[in-house]
Amino acid sequence: MENILEYLKEERAQAWRDELRKKIKSKDRTAIVRVKMHEQDHDIRSRNNLEVNLGLKKEEAVIEAQRCLDCVTPTCIKGCPVNINIPKFVKKIEKEDFLGAAKVLKETNSLPAVCGRVCPQEKQCEQECFYTQKLKLAPVAIGYLERFAADFERESGMSSTPDVAENNGIKVASIGSGPAALAWASDMARFGYKVTVFEALHEIGGVLKYGIPEFRLPNKIVDFEIDNMKKMGIEFRTNFIVGKTMTIDDLREAGYKAFFVGSGAGLPRFMNIPGENAIGVFSANEYLTRINLMNAAKINFDTPVLSGLNVAIIGGGNTAMDSVRTAKRLGAEHAMIIYRRSEEEMPARIEEVKHAKEEGIEFLNLNNPVEYKFDKNGKVTSMILQKMVLGEPDASGRRSPVPLENSEYEIPVDTVVVAVGTSPNPLIPASVSGLKTTRWGTIVVNEDMQSSIEDIYAGGDIVRGGATVILAMGDGRTAAAAMHKNLAKKLLTK
Amino acid sequence: MLDLTTRYLGLTLKNPLIAASSGYTSNLEHITQLEQNGIAAVVLKSIFEEEIINQFHESMGGLDKFHSNMEYLDYYDYELKNENINNYVQLIRNAKAKVSIPIIASINCVSNSEWTFFAKKLQEAGADALELNIFIMPSDQTKTGEQIENTYIDIINRVRKEVKIPVSVKMSSYFSNLSAMIQRISETKIDGIVLFNRFISADFDIDKIAVSPSYVFSNDKEYSLPLRWTAIMSSKIKCSIAASNGIHDSEALIKLLLAGADAVQIASTIYLNGMGQIDFMLKNLEDWMQSKNYTSISHFKGALSYNNLKNPAELERVQFMRYFSDHAIDNK
Repeated sequence: MENILEYLKEERAQAWRDELRKKIKSKDRTAIVRVKMHEQDHDIRSRNNLEVNLGLKKEEAVIEAQRCLDCVTPTCIKGCPVNINIPKFVKKIEKEDFLGAAKVLKETNSLPAVCGRVCPQEKQCEQECFYTQKLKLAPVAIGYLERFAADFERESGMSSTPDVAENNGIKVASIGSGPAALAWASDMARFGYKVTVFEALHEIGGVLKYGIPEFRLPNKIVDFEIDNMKKMGIEFRTNFIVGKTMTIDDLREAGYKAFFVGSGAGLPRFMNIPGENAIGVFSANEYLTRINLMNAAKINFDTPVLSGLNVAIIGGGNTAMDSVRTAKRLGAEHAMIIYRRSEEEMPARIEEVKHAKEEGIEFLNLNNPVEYKFDKNGKVTSMILQKMVLGEPDASGRRSPVPLENSEYEIPVDTVVVAVGTSPNPLIPASVSGLKTTRWGTIVVNEDMQSSIEDIYAGGDIVRGGATVILAMGDGRTAAAAMHKNLAKKLLTK
Repeated sequence: MLDLTTRYLGLTLKNPLIAASSGYTSNLEHITQLEQNGIAAVVLKSIFEEEIINQFHESMGGLDKFHSNMEYLDYYDYELKNENINNYVQLIRNAKAKVSIPIIASINCVSNSEWTFFAKKLQEAGADALELNIFIMPSDQTKTGEQIENTYIDIINRVRKEVKIPVSVKMSSYFSNLSAMIQRISETKIDGIVLFNRFISADFDIDKIAVSPSYVFSNDKEYSLPLRWTAIMSSKIKCSIAASNGIHDSEALIKLLLAGADAVQIASTIYLNGMGQIDFMLKNLEDWMQSKNYTSISHFKGALSYNNLKNPAELERVQFMRYFSDHAIDNK
């Protein structure tokens, strides 16, 4: 830690940073109003699948970067799970060295364009910003700037590939290709390992591809970052189910020396209420995967998804917001969020809730489904909702939903998407004997993300149950550092 | 040959002794032992709505740094419910495969929410009947007694709508007009009523100056409460009655049958005296029947119920009169 602080101090002391700091007085920097993200008009965007946020213009990015005070102790870094050198990349933007800014991001973050779009910065780096903490002003828009730098580099055609060490010939593999696995793979490739990423689906990217819709994270952005990793020498194998196609034991025999399990939480949860098996009731996993990865929104495909007029989404997280906004784009007249607590308790990002409201999503908070009704063909036709009130706070500090007796009422629905969370993918825990798991089915790991089996590390949703993209990436990076240390001790010093 | 069979909830029981919902009825090994010792039916340990709510709160409090994502945990209580119900369903299936006595599932409800729908799952698992263990703590000052009573009726109606198997209600004695409430419950489509639920009370530890749980077992005098109400109500209602609470020996068993109970539920006496107590109570019942020349339970069941008493007011007497006052002084 001391080394990192020392390093940051040295970086800050560089002449170009010093010069920039002197160029504008702090009081003038703090007087600048935080930039606003350009967005597609809500009436238009709710009828297309194009990205909602449009990014910043160069001039806007530079002015926003000027707000950063380049603090002696940059608390913002503390809020970043992958320890991006935030002041350095922001100051590079202020200096108008946009490619340099992107390079700084890539030192510790293999997916900057992704993180710039989907990270909950308001709960991480921006929450720790000096503006938030001390000045009680809107923080520097670190997320917008990250996105700007990554987009600029991609669109410039001058994208840099991170340097990788000479290949040491040691084979390592990840199970899964989501953000945790990609961050792990990227770092392991930099250390010189021969990295293979095994993915069960036909597309690389895990939740970034199947879970997050195009209007929030276009697939081409993810593909670009993956192409960069391919250039680093990482091998990607799709349609490969570790635990079925080959087991971890088989892979050990094939010469793999260590594994990173990033197999995610892909097992949908349901509420198990009557009628949940009716036609037209989906899990959010199925609904979003079919639309995002399998073209189910296109009617000329063989297996189109039902696009109802009255669509109810159960839940209050980001997945629920993604589902309801997708339903709206598929033509729902009433796209509704049914959430049993109030908006204050919603786990979704504030920005997602705001966007959803602007797009005409109806919020039925303090309501909970108790039954789905269906017609003679088994197709859902309506749902019974029960009104809720907030009771005492539970141990998490949030007020508990309490059913209001005799408050049930019926509303018509033709599509329901259940977005009440997912459970960890059970395949790896079930196929590896001796792998310790928690009561939630997640893999038990130590501080180094190492499991109860020496050569198996894990991170992301399979450890956390549910993680943000950046937290998952942080896990991948921690695991890579520890795995490298152990393998170097065992194999490289012989 | 004595006939100990009785009809309860439309089921024919080989004798009137039912193992009440308790720790003993929560696993297959004990259920098998209960059958081997002569019990006629088993009420499985209740699946507690309140317990699962508490489990959820405990889970939320025990989160480590890796499990702090609220989106993942937002509906975790449903996961716990499903886990508990799946385990319970499995217990019913296993018990039905292993023993031949009727298996009565039990749900402890504190609200009329979606819990009632889970009754259907217990029926599908093969339960022979369902006991609703309802108690709404009358500690909410904003609720009237009528509202609480309506919740009981609402739960019963909802469950009755969901399942075809017989349903009974294990109720408490805490109602301002108990007979009216028993009557009201009996007029729903319920098949039986269990008199009464027994609650764990809070006690104080005067050394530690702290709240502590009170003694968990019933004592052998507590049967007088179900005795009175079984005697008063058994000839007035059409559904079955099982007496429960403080029935520790054959004497209490016989008294409750005389009061009109179709069956009795026992738990504490098994904990205190062992499984052999079941056989012991049944043998004593047989001896008593022989001594009185009864050949079947139906010959004497309800002999001391309200309608069969010359002076039923004795059952309703509540105040100490001269006889009791003198009795107390004489015994000093």
